[in-house]
Amino acid sequence: MPHFSLAKRDPATQSEGVVPGYAQTSQRWPSQPLVKRPQTKSELTGPANLARRLGAVRGDLAGHGEKRALGQLIHIRARVVDEDGAPVPGAVVEAWHCNASGRYKHPNDTDHAPLDPNFYGAARLVAGDSGLVELRTIKPGAYPVPDAAGWWRPPHVHFSVWGRVWLSRLVTQMFFPGEPLNEADVILNAIRDPQARNRCIATLMPTTKGPQNALVYDYQIVVRGRGASPKL
Amino acid sequence: MSLVPSGEMTLGPFFPREFAQGANDLSAGAKGEVIEVTGRITQLDGKPLDNLVVEIWQADSQGRLDAADFFGWGRAATDANGVYRFRTIKPGAIEGRAPHINFLLLYSGLMRHLQTVMFFEAAKDPVLDAVPANRREALIAKREGAVYRFDIRLRGDGETPFFDD
Repeated sequence: MPHFSLAKRDPATQSEGVVPGYAQTSQRWPSQPLVKRPQTKSELTGPANLARRLGAVRGDLAGHGEKRALGQLIHIRARVVDEDGAPVPGAVVEAWHCNASGRYKHPNDTDHAPLDPNFYGAARLVAGDSGLVELRTIKPGAYPVPDAAGWWRPPHVHFSVWGRVWLSRLVTQMFFPGEPLNEADVILNAIRDPQARNRCIATLMPTTKGPQNALVYDYQIVVRGRGASPKL
Repeated sequence: MSLVPSGEMTLGPFFPREFAQGANDLSAGAKGEVIEVTGRITQLDGKPLDNLVVEIWQADSQGRLDAADFFGWGRAATDANGVYRFRTIKPGAIEGRAPHINFLLLYSGLMRHLQTVMFFEAAKDPVLDAVPANRREALIAKREGAVYRFDIRLRGDGETPFFDD
């Protein structure tokens, strides 16, 4: 098996620092340069069986019948792979998003858009051997960012993902194709490389009439690292 | 095949509270000295940060990572006073390293997560030695009995050193 290795981040495909139009970044991103450090066993390991502690919670946020949430039914198929394209079996994936009117079921969301009694927007999924996680849900709405004139977040789904080691931790957002608001979103466009940006947008698969009859979106999540899990 | 890692993005302000709860006690059933690790997290203007997510990764008391009887990963969120709290075991030294706890911070206004490390004393360590000498003090916890205090300042005077990986 190839030795596990982890390359430095590429600033063209990763965002950081103080970002114009996103005021909080100027209060929170460090002013001093980040310190380069050697990679040791401590950073190149991680909990081998995280699902033992963080198990699956809700795989279906859309509901059924009278408990069906408002909005377009969608089915997200996200595959977790590493930089070799190899699946990451057992990867834990947390997903959360707002309801169809753009409101999060969270005490910090003080927007006046209505809550949906049938929508609870948080799920935890565990990938199988092929690295695939699937989430049946509804398409989230767009919403205005408080205290940021003119900035509306496009529809998006948040993902929190664990790769093979501590340094592979990934928190990202998945966007939807064809949304005009994607063009001006401060967070999506902080990624400078257009191809890297496009990879944050899911692919709408051909619609077919199936038992679910949902819009199917495919998405690939690439966590950092190549080669086998390092030996302890 | 060679793929580019997905673009990391901010956690945003609406991380589900249920995910940040129930994972800040690593001590249950583990051998070793039980300690509390706590601290306050502030931004440039000194304001404490509420609901900031802190994740940790550490060795067991013998310096073993991912040992069968110790789950060395935990997660907590700060309260309205910016304070996080873990109950854990004092880690032993991993070969070539001084005892330490890895920290990962997630929050709105951080375009991606930040990483830092808490040390128990100013010991010889390749990661601590990578930090400019005049900033190392900020990575050493202050001991008050079984409590180790590790305050984190994201930006401004006395800023905590963060690492580029």
